[in-house]
Amino acid sequence: MAHDREVLRMIWEGQIGICFQADRDEIVGIKPEPFYLMISRLSYLPLVTDKVRKYFSRYISAEHQDGAVWFDFNGTPLRLHYPIGVLYDLLHPDEDSTPWCLTIHFSKFPEETLVKLNSKELLESHYMSCLKEADVLKHRGLVISAMQKKDHNQLWLGLVNDKFDQFWAVNRRLMEPYGDQESFKHIPLRLYADDDFTYTQKLISPITESGQKKSLADLMAELSTPVLKAVGCRTHGIDLHEETQLQWLSEHLSYPDNFLHLSVDYKTL
Amino acid sequence: MADTPEPQAALTTSTPTDKDASKICVLLNATGNVPIIKKRTWTVDPNKTVSWIQKFIHKYLKLDANEQIFLYVNQTFAPAPDQIIKNLYECHGTNGKLVLYYCKNQAWG
Repeated sequence: MAHDREVLRMIWEGQIGICFQADRDEIVGIKPEPFYLMISRLSYLPLVTDKVRKYFSRYISAEHQDGAVWFDFNGTPLRLHYPIGVLYDLLHPDEDSTPWCLTIHFSKFPEETLVKLNSKELLESHYMSCLKEADVLKHRGLVISAMQKKDHNQLWLGLVNDKFDQFWAVNRRLMEPYGDQESFKHIPLRLYADDDFTYTQKLISPITESGQKKSLADLMAELSTPVLKAVGCRTHGIDLHEETQLQWLSEHLSYPDNFLHLSVDYKTL
Repeated sequence: MADTPEPQAALTTSTPTDKDASKICVLLNATGNVPIIKKRTWTVDPNKTVSWIQKFIHKYLKLDANEQIFLYVNQTFAPAPDQIIKNLYECHGTNGKLVLYYCKNQAWG
């Protein structure tokens, strides 16, 4: 059960300072000043950049004003359907106090590398699919399918409007073991090994074969191969302790899409 | 040819090579108002994406450019277009197969 409410709160309040800059080739006339914003780690770029878009659209040519907006960091296009904290941790792993400088583009959407989930509606349906997949893994899909449309809306609006209580009033039900179970069936998990944005999903039970609760150390042993040893895991910019239980991690450190997004460090043996 | 899924039959009539052995068996089911692909079982490179399968079905059924293919895993959720088949198979495969449903309209929201 998600009782450690303060942990949930701290994760919810995690923010990243971002400095948005214009694409020089799109600017007509005077170069605008950068736009600074504190953004929730848990949100998605299309949900929090209305103001940024509006600000820069005054400086770009009319033909690009209604273009599909996208962002890059040092030339790497940012996936619009990944939580911002995941993008940041993959591309900016050394936590420092300087803002993260991103460039906003209004044209030349890189369709080959980015999925065009650039509207709130498309993102909402992607988000709901993530919740459903996570619930299939945790509870065979029984909890989410028993919810009503208004519950789904409440989750989404809680995330969009940054309302912790509204979101967790519903998410709590998704983050509890089903019925009289003590843990989830499997842990929804996305594992990132480097900064190329591809992730691995595996079917991981929170319980060992002998019925013990698995720790992060058990997970890392499972992920290791004879040539590659998993030596550390990070999420939300935090190095995780090896003895932390997987079930607890899933309940408390999952992103709002109900997946744990873990960066795994490997050592070659 | 290297870029299309291979019918499962091709595997049973010849000795599977190492390359084939690493491929994933995908079962394609039509749902709703969409033409049926007669050959339901295909083997797919594990690193191919959901959008690659969508494009394959689109081309195979010779759909109009404005028609869309939606894909669902086990009649439950729509995977992201850049999700790879390997991840879906690892987590949602049953009896050595990944079961996908395809349609032209959104089915399971």
